[in-house]
Amino acid sequence: MVESSFLNPFCDEALSIVRNQADLSTVFDIDSRLVDIISFSPHQNLSDESYIPENIINLALKRIKWFIERKNNKEYNSHDYAYFFVEDITPYDVIAFHLSAQAIANKFNFNSREMRLFIQAQGQIIEDRLGSLMLSEKRELTDDVLGELMVSGTVEWTFLKDIISSKKLSLTDLVIDNGEVILDRDEFIYRFEDKFDDRSASKMYDVLVGDNVKEEVLKNLIMQKTEEYIQNIQEKSQLIEAHPSILTLADEIEKTIDEEMTKYSTFYANLNNPGGYMEIGKLVKEAFPPCIKSTVEGVSSGGRNDAIVLFLTSFASYARLYPGIFANEGAGIKVSDIDKNLDITEREILPLIFEAADNCTPPLFEDQPQEKINIISKLGFGMHSELSLDHEGETKWYTPMSCEKVKIHLPQLCKKDKGCKGINNPLSYYTRAKWNLKNEGKLPDSTQSESNSNSDGRD
Amino acid sequence: MFGKSTIKERKQFYREEWNLKDLPDFITDELPRREFGFDHYGRGPNDRYKVFKNQDILRRFLKSKSPFAAYISIAYYRNPRAREDWQKAEYVFDVDAKDLPIRSCDCDEGEVCAQCLAESLEIVNNLIDTLDGDLGLKNIHLIYSGRGYHIRILDEDMMLADSDLRGEVLKYVAGATVPKSIYPNPDPSMVASNFNFQHFTLPLAYHQIFTDRVKYNIQHLKGTEKIDGINPKLLKDIIKFRHLLDDDAWGLFKGNIGPRRYNNIVSAMANVNLATIDAKVSIDIKRILRLPSSLHSKVSMKCVEVKDRENFDPLKYAVPKFVDERKDEEITENK
Ligand code: SF4
Ligand SMILES: [Zn+2]
Repeated sequence: MVESSFLNPFCDEALSIVRNQADLSTVFDIDSRLVDIISFSPHQNLSDESYIPENIINLALKRIKWFIERKNNKEYNSHDYAYFFVEDITPYDVIAFHLSAQAIANKFNFNSREMRLFIQAQGQIIEDRLGSLMLSEKRELTDDVLGELMVSGTVEWTFLKDIISSKKLSLTDLVIDNGEVILDRDEFIYRFEDKFDDRSASKMYDVLVGDNVKEEVLKNLIMQKTEEYIQNIQEKSQLIEAHPSILTLADEIEKTIDEEMTKYSTFYANLNNPGGYMEIGKLVKEAFPPCIKSTVEGVSSGGRNDAIVLFLTSFASYARLYPGIFANEGAGIKVSDIDKNLDITEREILPLIFEAADNCTPPLFEDQPQEKINIISKLGFGMHSELSLDHEGETKWYTPMSCEKVKIHLPQLCKKDKGCKGINNPLSYYTRAKWNLKNEGKLPDSTQSESNSNSDGRD
Repeated sequence: MFGKSTIKERKQFYREEWNLKDLPDFITDELPRREFGFDHYGRGPNDRYKVFKNQDILRRFLKSKSPFAAYISIAYYRNPRAREDWQKAEYVFDVDAKDLPIRSCDCDEGEVCAQCLAESLEIVNNLIDTLDGDLGLKNIHLIYSGRGYHIRILDEDMMLADSDLRGEVLKYVAGATVPKSIYPNPDPSMVASNFNFQHFTLPLAYHQIFTDRVKYNIQHLKGTEKIDGINPKLLKDIIKFRHLLDDDAWGLFKGNIGPRRYNNIVSAMANVNLATIDAKVSIDIKRILRLPSSLHSKVSMKCVEVKDRENFDPLKYAVPKFVDERKDEEITENK
């Protein structure tokens, strides 16, 4: 039987592994037992030593590398990482997980790109491990782990509210009855048997709930736990000095992520990359969607604040710095990841936003000067009146509003034109319109990609 | 409905009729943590950031000012005077009779009548059934706002929810998302053949909610509506065949409409469902809403908490005395 620590690094068994077997003074030493496990993993690619992490630290880095490769590399080969999916790896993997979480909590801010990547990697590992198991094993293990997480036949939907709020699961896809999400077959049959005359309730359970929902819930709950775990360590880290091994691991994690992301990021335009048209470059007003055009011209008192602070700020900053955000989801990012010394933000993005604010009736900052601070905060620089790298990460870089959101919050701005067909985000309108202009040769030279001059902004 | 109230009528209302006891408990419970806003002249609530330490001060304020309109924040703040340190906020559904995308009365734009008010009540009753029965939310209050209804929810989980979660719950309760219809075949040997379920073939969970909402909409169509995605010919056919839905013969209904046009109906109805509720209000965590017990001076009706939501009649419970007296005067004048 597969142990639940294979999926759940927080179960009792996993925690006792960490307690009894983790030794921070030896994590950099070659571990021959680990090397053995990896070498004997079925289908493992052994053509090169670099495929074999020979100590725990390297294993921890491989987890991150694996995730970025799996998401982005079109030629990703699962045999390069087969060892992550054999059960024998579990004790090592659990330790690697906890060390990484500690390292990330110590070096990076809450919700930093690094933190989000790590959490997503954990979710993906769970998903892929579930996929590697036999059906009966998988079902048994899923139920065991859900049991450990205090979830059985049903779970109150509010228990999943973070997952729902972040749209990882949609409320409308769940079977909810009386406040409870039905996860279990018996529970489903008990409640709905008489609803189906010509179909078997048990079969309907397989279709509507089945393993999928349970697995999604499991995965997301562990991801949520990981987030809380890191947050917890962060709160305590002011009091406790981290072990030097942890700090070294943190540096290595940063290096690994930087290297990997540079390979795949769309803002380093790559002509062979189908997302290549999402390259960065000066803002092209001609390519703005109708909603942004009218915002830039100024908004009257009704929706003024949201239009400038939320809508335009996020649009302008992403359009200028990171138009590929949606194509590249999973790659959490900060303004300074692209605009290293904030020159572009200071010289091009803020002036555009401030000018639009000025065009409002009445001018936005005239009666509400505090909105300047809110704009800075939506760029990810905390509640301050100036941009400063020291404060970056205190708030989140607000992602561009979708058309749906615009229609709910700022309906007066959405004046669809033919470019709006089939898009669901004003930013996609922009990248597409820009691409069209470019193909028609209408894009001024000064607005062409600056990817080359920019790639040295990063080490 | 009864036209604007005069200053004299407002004064009379607050002096003689308004009573502290008409303030619902959920309002008075944590009064000092709420922000109040007032509209003194009928030009919008520009007297804001007001805080009342206790009910008595509020009582004296209302009695002496007789405001054109009074509002209270759905949010609780540690420092309401500055609208700072947000703590939590009620979750609200705002259904306004004058903004219903489908109503079967003959009201002109911006008008309301007893019939569309009754339809609003039916709609909010359906919403509450879902909020309470399906989602299990607690502490739900219904307020008649003067021209429609506010569902005000003080469920602890929802009060702490961010706008995103509020939006997701809104879509579920309203029926604003087209229900999932394609499901993978769970039989591993049949992975290539997906199942396709029409919403009306799944009588449970969200599918049921959506089906109920669509049925309601179709049964209330007049045939003169302008609905995105439904052209006049389709609208005519919907009305022609809608009797089939009386017995829930959805399959026949769909067969008569045709599958492609039926899909148009489904997506158009999801939009209608969203437009039935003022979504902006639901996702807002800092809004102010009309104060229950206060006077809606534009229409001369009282904003009141609804105690019996099945049988509530605004003409019985929300008409201020001065309106009746107006009629008496008219009668005496006409004599
Ligand atoms: S459809 Fe989207 S892009 Fe087009 S105007 Fe509306 S919000 Fe903007
Ligand atoms: Zn009417």
